[in-house]
Amino acid sequence: MTPTTIRRINWMGGAFTILTVLIAVLWAFPIYWGIISSLKPENEVVRPYIELWPDTLTFEHYWFALTQTQIGKWYINSIATSVGVTVLTVSTSLFAGYAISQLRFPGRRVLWWLILASFMVPTQVLIINHFVLMANMSLLNSWAGIILPQLIHPVIVIVFKQFFDQVPKDFREAAAMDNASEWAVLFKIYIPMNWGVITALSIVTFIWAWNAFLWPFLAVTKTEMMTITVGITQVFDAFGVYYARQLSAAVLAGFPVALVYLVFQRRVTQAITLSAGIKG
Amino acid sequence: MADISLDTVSKSFGGIKVIDGISLEMKSGEFVVFLGPSGSGKSTLLRMIAGLETIDGGALTIDGKRSEHLAPGQREVAMVFQNYALYPHMTVRGNMAFGLKNIGMDKSEIDKRVEDAARILEMDALLDRRPAQLSGGQRQRVAIGRAIVKEPAAFLFDEPLSNLDAALRVRTRVELAELHQRMQSTMIYVTHDQTEAMTLADRIVVLNNCRIEQVGTPMDVYLYPATRFVAGFVGSPGMNFLNAELKGSGTDQCVTLGDGSRIALEIDVPAGPYDLGIRPEAVRVSAAPAATTGKAAVVERLGDRTLIHLHLEDGTELTALDSGRSNVVSGDAVHLEFDTSQLHLFDAEGIAHHAK
Ligand SMILES: Nc1ncnc2c1ncn2[C@@H]1O[C@H](COP(=O)(O)OP(=O)(O)OP(=O)(O)O)[C@@H](O)[C@H]1O
Ligand SMILES: [Mg+2]
Repeated sequence: MTPTTIRRINWMGGAFTILTVLIAVLWAFPIYWGIISSLKPENEVVRPYIELWPDTLTFEHYWFALTQTQIGKWYINSIATSVGVTVLTVSTSLFAGYAISQLRFPGRRVLWWLILASFMVPTQVLIINHFVLMANMSLLNSWAGIILPQLIHPVIVIVFKQFFDQVPKDFREAAAMDNASEWAVLFKIYIPMNWGVITALSIVTFIWAWNAFLWPFLAVTKTEMMTITVGITQVFDAFGVYYARQLSAAVLAGFPVALVYLVFQRRVTQAITLSAGIKG
Repeated sequence: MADISLDTVSKSFGGIKVIDGISLEMKSGEFVVFLGPSGSGKSTLLRMIAGLETIDGGALTIDGKRSEHLAPGQREVAMVFQNYALYPHMTVRGNMAFGLKNIGMDKSEIDKRVEDAARILEMDALLDRRPAQLSGGQRQRVAIGRAIVKEPAAFLFDEPLSNLDAALRVRTRVELAELHQRMQSTMIYVTHDQTEAMTLADRIVVLNNCRIEQVGTPMDVYLYPATRFVAGFVGSPGMNFLNAELKGSGTDQCVTLGDGSRIALEIDVPAGPYDLGIRPEAVRVSAAPAATTGKAAVVERLGDRTLIHLHLEDGTELTALDSGRSNVVSGDAVHLEFDTSQLHLFDAEGIAHHAK
C-alpha cells in the first residue's frame, strides 16, 4: 500500500466516524430535549425558540408528578404487570419451544405451523376480541386483564425452538444414557445451556410489556389501576396540559427501562438482534 | 461385567437396511472391537446395544436379561461418545455425578465413586473445572470417568480416540488397554482404525455393508482373513492381490502368476482361476534367483523396515517388505521369494482359502 492510499482510507474512516456521531446526536437529541424541558419552568418551555440549557433549573414538575398524581400506584401496576407478562410469556414460550424442538408427538408439525401463522397476525387486529373477552370475564381494570392478552408472543417461541434445535443431539443422548428424565433434560441441560438467550428474551419481553400502551390504555379506565405509560397521559389538571409536567412524568416512566438497558446493555442488544432476525 | 448377545438383530432407516440380521456373542470381560469402513454400520450397531437406536427385529440380551425394549439408562451400559458430549455448564465432578444423581444414589456413595474414578484416571486436580477449561485429552478422560462411575455391565466406545492428535492417541490407547485389564469389564469399541483394533481387541468383529465379514482374534483376522474384503482391510501396508491360476491337485499343486512364474503350494480347493493374496512380509527379496523377479519402482525407507513397490515382468504390481538396512534402490531388478505357507486364494465370491 502506498502512503496516499493509507491517507485516503484514514480520511474515509474519519468521515465515517463524523457521520455516525452526527446521526447519533440526531437520535439522542429528542431525549435530551425532553429531559431538559422537564427541568424548565413551564413559561420557558413554551418559548418559541430553541434553548439548549434552561435559564432556571427547576424540579417542581417532578415534585408535582411524584406528589400530586398516583404515579406510585402506576409504578406498582407497571411492575406487577410487566413482571407477570415476562415470567408467563418466557416460561410458556420456553416449554412450547422445547416441546416443538425436542419432543415427538402427534400434531407437532401442525402446532408449529399454527405458531408461525399466528406470528403473521398483528395483535392490534385482535384487540377488539381481547376487549370483549376481558369484559365478559370481568377482567377489565385488573392486573390479570392487562396481562393475559399480552402473553401472545410467537416470536419468542420461535427463538426458543431455534436455540433448542441448535443444541447437539449428543447431549440428549448422553442424558438418556445418564438416566435423565425429560424434566431433567430440560431443567438440568437445555435450560442451563441456554441461559444467555433466556435472560435476553426476558429483558426484551419486560421492555415490551413496560412500554405497552394501546392495550393497557383500553383495558383500564380507573386511574388507580393504570400502568405508568397510560398514567402519564393523565397528568393534567383543570387548567389544561402542562408540557413540562407531562415530560417529567414521561422521564419517570422511562427511567426503569433506561436502567435495565444500562445494566444489561450487551444482553439487550443481543436480544434485539435475535428477535429482529426473525421479525425481519 | 456381563455377557452380551445379539440374535439376528436388524435395523432400517427409512426403508434402507443398515444392519441385516447380525448375531454375535460377547463374553463377560471381553474387549470386542467393531472394525469396518465408514458407513458399514458400526456406530449403528453400537447405538442399538446402547438403546440410542431402536432395534427393528431380533433380540438383545445383556447379562441374561432381554434388553431391546429397555430405556438406554436401564441397560446398565455406559457410553463414551466420539466428541465426548460433556455437559458444558457442569464441572467435571458434576458431569460424572449427573447419571448417579438421576438414579437417586446417596451423596456419600456418589462422592466416593467420583473420587475413585478420578484417582484411576489421574484427574483429581481437575474435578472442579469445566469442560471448556480442559485439553482434548483431559476431556476424553472425563468422558471415560463418566462411564466408570456407573460401574456398568459394559462400556461402549464410539471412536473415542479420533479427536486426539497422533501421539496422544497412541498413549490413550495403551491407557485404555490398561484400564480394561484393571477393570476386567466388557468393552465394545468401534473404530475404523485397524491398528486400534489389532492392539486393543480380544476379538475383532469386521463389518462391511451391514453384515459381519468375520469374527476372530486379531491374529486370526490377520493371518486367516475369511474374505477378500477382510484381507484387504486389515493390515498396513495392505495385502497384495494378484491374478493367478491354480493347477494340479494333491501334492502336485501350483499357482501360475501373470508373468508365468509358478509357486508350489498345498491347498484344498479345485483348480481354476483365483485371486492370490499375499502380505508384503511374505514376499522376500532374495540374493539368489528365486520364484520370480521384479523391478523396484519405489523404495520407501521406514527405518525399521523398507517397503519396496515392484513391477513384475508383465506389469503386475506387488509390494515386498525388506529389512531396514535393505540396499535395494529404485530401478533395481530383484529376485523374489514367497512364503508359501502365507498364501491365500480368493474365489469369485471373495471367500478365502488358506494355503497349508
Ligand atoms: N439416523 C440415520 N438416518 C438414516 N440413515 C442413517 C442414520 N444413521 C446412520 N445411517 C446410515 O446407516 C449407515 C451406517 O451408518 P453408521 O453411522 O453406523 O456407520 P459407521 O460404520 O459408524 O461409519 P463411520 O465410520 O463413518 O462412523 C450409513 O449408510 C448411514 O448413512
Ligand atoms: Mg460411526
